[in-house]
Amino acid sequence: MPKKSKQRKKQDKDAELIEAINSGQHSLYYDLVKRYEGMLYNFGLRICRDSQDAEDLVQETFLNVFKYLKGFRYETKFKNWLYKIASRVCIKKRRKSKFAPDRELSLDEFQPSEEAHAVTELPDWASAPLEKLLNNELSETLKNATLSLPEKYRVVILLRDMEGFSTEETAQILNVTPANVKVRLHRGRLFLREKLKEYYDDDTSQP
Amino acid sequence: MTMTHHNHDPEKCRWMFERLSEYIDNELDEVTCKDIEHHAEDCIPCQVCLGTLKRTIALCKEMGSTPVPEDISTRLRALVQSIS
Repeated sequence: MPKKSKQRKKQDKDAELIEAINSGQHSLYYDLVKRYEGMLYNFGLRICRDSQDAEDLVQETFLNVFKYLKGFRYETKFKNWLYKIASRVCIKKRRKSKFAPDRELSLDEFQPSEEAHAVTELPDWASAPLEKLLNNELSETLKNATLSLPEKYRVVILLRDMEGFSTEETAQILNVTPANVKVRLHRGRLFLREKLKEYYDDDTSQP
Repeated sequence: MTMTHHNHDPEKCRWMFERLSEYIDNELDEVTCKDIEHHAEDCIPCQVCLGTLKRTIALCKEMGSTPVPEDISTRLRALVQSIS
């Protein structure tokens, strides 16, 4: 194993469990599933449109993990590898379906208009304490807004802003360049910001 | 929250608008960061852009999780048993 991989193995909180599984204790697979099923299921819910697809994504991802775990060489953290597999499952599913190709988001569509330059203050939803904003309705709005993002932007938002991966890690998971991740992330965030603006503009009961 | 004097420079605003996410993520060099901060000090629309984008990201991070339904956990356990 290369020195870098050895280092990564040392730092990977899943290494011990993976070692045990790979040395023949297959009953421990379920411990690995328990560790990640919640995260993956929520990733699935946010990337797919219904819970059945999310469940399929979790199942297919774990099946692939079991199939290839023996060959896992710590070229990345286990969690990152898991998400790489999940993202591939997702892309494969999308290719099989008859969805229209992803729409491109351009920066120009989010550039503030000249009227927006008349603003004099930060809106309440951006200045109020965060905990005052959080409620089920907002959560639902944000979930729907995320689902309405074209998939290639959505997956980047999920990995970077919801799952907490870095730009470099996200690029590795999706097999794209870090520059590409940054472009998609910025446009995806601007798209969500517009949706939040619309939501709060329509809402008369601002915090 | 009322902000400071508005000094609108469309080219500079556009330049900043393109870099907002990288700025928020601390992915820009010090000189560019200072330049952005200097511009934002006097430009209310850019302060609003920055503030609303930061809040959007914060809200994304706070998005709650859905517990895994019991039947899915049960099926996963069965799946593991069938292959181990």
